[in-house]
Amino acid sequence: MTFLRQAGVIARKDLRIEIRGRHAVGTMVPFAATILIAFGFAFGPGRDVLERVAPGLLWMALLFSAVMASRRAYQVETEDGALEGLLLAPIDKATVFLGKTAAVALELLVLTIAILFLVVLLFDLALADLGPVVLAFALGVIGLATVGNLFGVVAEYARTREAIFPLLVLPLVTPVLIAGVRATDLATSGQAAESASWLGLLAAFDVVFVSAGILVFGYVMED
Amino acid sequence: MRTLSRQDVGLREAAVDLRGVTRLFGEVPAVVRVNLAIERGEAVVLRGPNGAGKSTLLRIVATSLSPTYGGGAVLGFDLANEREQIRRRCELLTHRTRLYEELSARENLLLFADLLRIEPARVDEALEHVGLARDADERVRGFSHGMRQKVAVARTIVRDPELLLLDEPATGLDDSARAVVDAMILDAAAKGRTIVIATHHAVTAGLSARVVSMRDGHVEGQT
Repeated sequence: MTFLRQAGVIARKDLRIEIRGRHAVGTMVPFAATILIAFGFAFGPGRDVLERVAPGLLWMALLFSAVMASRRAYQVETEDGALEGLLLAPIDKATVFLGKTAAVALELLVLTIAILFLVVLLFDLALADLGPVVLAFALGVIGLATVGNLFGVVAEYARTREAIFPLLVLPLVTPVLIAGVRATDLATSGQAAESASWLGLLAAFDVVFVSAGILVFGYVMED
Repeated sequence: MRTLSRQDVGLREAAVDLRGVTRLFGEVPAVVRVNLAIERGEAVVLRGPNGAGKSTLLRIVATSLSPTYGGGAVLGFDLANEREQIRRRCELLTHRTRLYEELSARENLLLFADLLRIEPARVDEALEHVGLARDADERVRGFSHGMRQKVAVARTIVRDPELLLLDEPATGLDDSARAVVDAMILDAAAKGRTIVIATHHAVTAGLSARVVSMRDGHVEGQT
């Protein structure tokens, strides 16, 4: 119970900082909206094309936003050396990983709702079978937040952190991107039952990376 | 045949017992073969110019950094294998205050009180003690460096550690903030806490301390 309570304390702290500073959401929402609108114009007014590319655009906007949110989650820790404070606190460091991952995942969920709304509005995406779509995004944001946090702390100790972070994260989250796009595409094109295997892949990815994060995060944080 | 411990022969367990500690940053040595013993309840001032290795040595004692070679014990716990026990009993105060700018002074302190299960009432007492009761709910973002350092001092008071490590705590402070830091040091000394201060400023008036001089990573002498 102490473990989950401490993770909750870290998550509340990060969410409070984000709500007050609006750093991540203030950057992510306009960024995601710009991507969607720019591609909307690029593909022209044809409804068929827009419907086909909408799942890919949605996930691409979410992916880049996840990179930004995860970087921000560690910037607040290094502005005044707070990360050293967490390191020296006599707590299981896995609680820091879980708390920060939960906070980023929640931020991304809020963003997902906003960009889903935009996609439905701009691209006329059909969300008749909402269950698999919601599940795909819920599992997807957990996967993106998990990898982002695991490598956020790794990058924090690198001198070229701004360059190295996307290089570490983007190749690793490719399975999330592929599975997310396929699951969303199938669910929005009337083949929801066939999205189960992709949802399974997303769930498996989450289990592997959450477990890995809990096990190794403490070692990564230490000198 | 059993090896006699310090207690067996009537010696008190040392608060800090470093043996042959060397720390390299890449190829650059910051601390070189340092042997240092500090008794419980003793106050020690590490003196030396910039780059002498004072801060690195303090961080090794605080378990924020690991020695590259050598080892030792802090408060009877092994530096390499019992870091969490050391962290439970020691606090490192530096000129970087390790605060979150978007949180208030009280929230910054409550974060650690929550994590470490410390009575929240002690947070208000500590803020009152450092003269920040009126500003307790203001965000740290608007605080001067002196006020931030007072919050960091309040955090130390809340924790009441057995071993207090201070790295240039008076850097950039006005008289009022410096008085708060000095009062905390004298109070800790009166309670019999072990204190190690790394500084090239004048030492707190009224503190009886052994002075250890460092230069180029080596301990040069003691007075």
